[in-house]
Amino acid sequence: MNKETLAGAADRRRANSGDPLGANSEIGRKLKQYYDELVSDNVPDRFAQLLRQLEQAEPAQKKD
Amino acid sequence: MAAVSEGFKTDLLGSIPSLRAFAVSLTQNADKADDLVQETLVKAWDKHESFQPGTNLKAWLFTILRNEFYSQMRKRGREVQDSDGIMTARLAVHPAQHGQLDLKDFRGALEQLPEDQREAIILIGASGFSYEEAAEICGCAVGTIKSRVSRARTRLQEILKISGEDEYGPDAISSQVTGSNAA
Repeated sequence: MNKETLAGAADRRRANSGDPLGANSEIGRKLKQYYDELVSDNVPDRFAQLLRQLEQAEPAQKKD
Repeated sequence: MAAVSEGFKTDLLGSIPSLRAFAVSLTQNADKADDLVQETLVKAWDKHESFQPGTNLKAWLFTILRNEFYSQMRKRGREVQDSDGIMTARLAVHPAQHGQLDLKDFRGALEQLPEDQREAIILIGASGFSYEEAAEICGCAVGTIKSRVSRARTRLQEILKISGEDEYGPDAISSQVTGSNAA
């Protein structure tokens, strides 16, 4: 699992600037671990379905 | 009304994992979180014309999700917890032993934070937003976000019994040493 996330980039910036939530902080690390686990959770089908429904429900566009 | 572009739709799909993560962080409940994400997607779709291409779509979506969350809470008549709540009284978590902080304990501690602090520390410490972006998402001043993050961090440290200074201290190092030859 090596995700190069936005958070990862921000993390490095912060680690360099001594930010309290950077990679050297226990809280910072746990926070990212907690969040990355949530982000990597499988997305249920209902959302793709929802977007398809929204698309179909759009008022018909002029075709020309 | 202009049609929703393919690109917008693709970006919307792509931001669902982040939206779900943020929603769970706010609601602390997987089902409520997914309902919240659904509402957010519908709203985003309806008002796609108000999104300015080239600006941060993720921040725009997080703003919608957040607004939806607080308006639902208000509808349910639930008071939004404020930062000066009584959360610190509930210290049920064991002290972190030698830096081996359990994720479950961390989750429990996060749950005890007031919403405004929790969202601030998530946006800054996990979602990768800048203080300026987080302030925009939450509709408040940058200084407010900074102070919420700082209070959230202090409170998490209190709940988890992490001392503020042990990040570089001997504990972190000695636990690595002792942890590796536990046989």
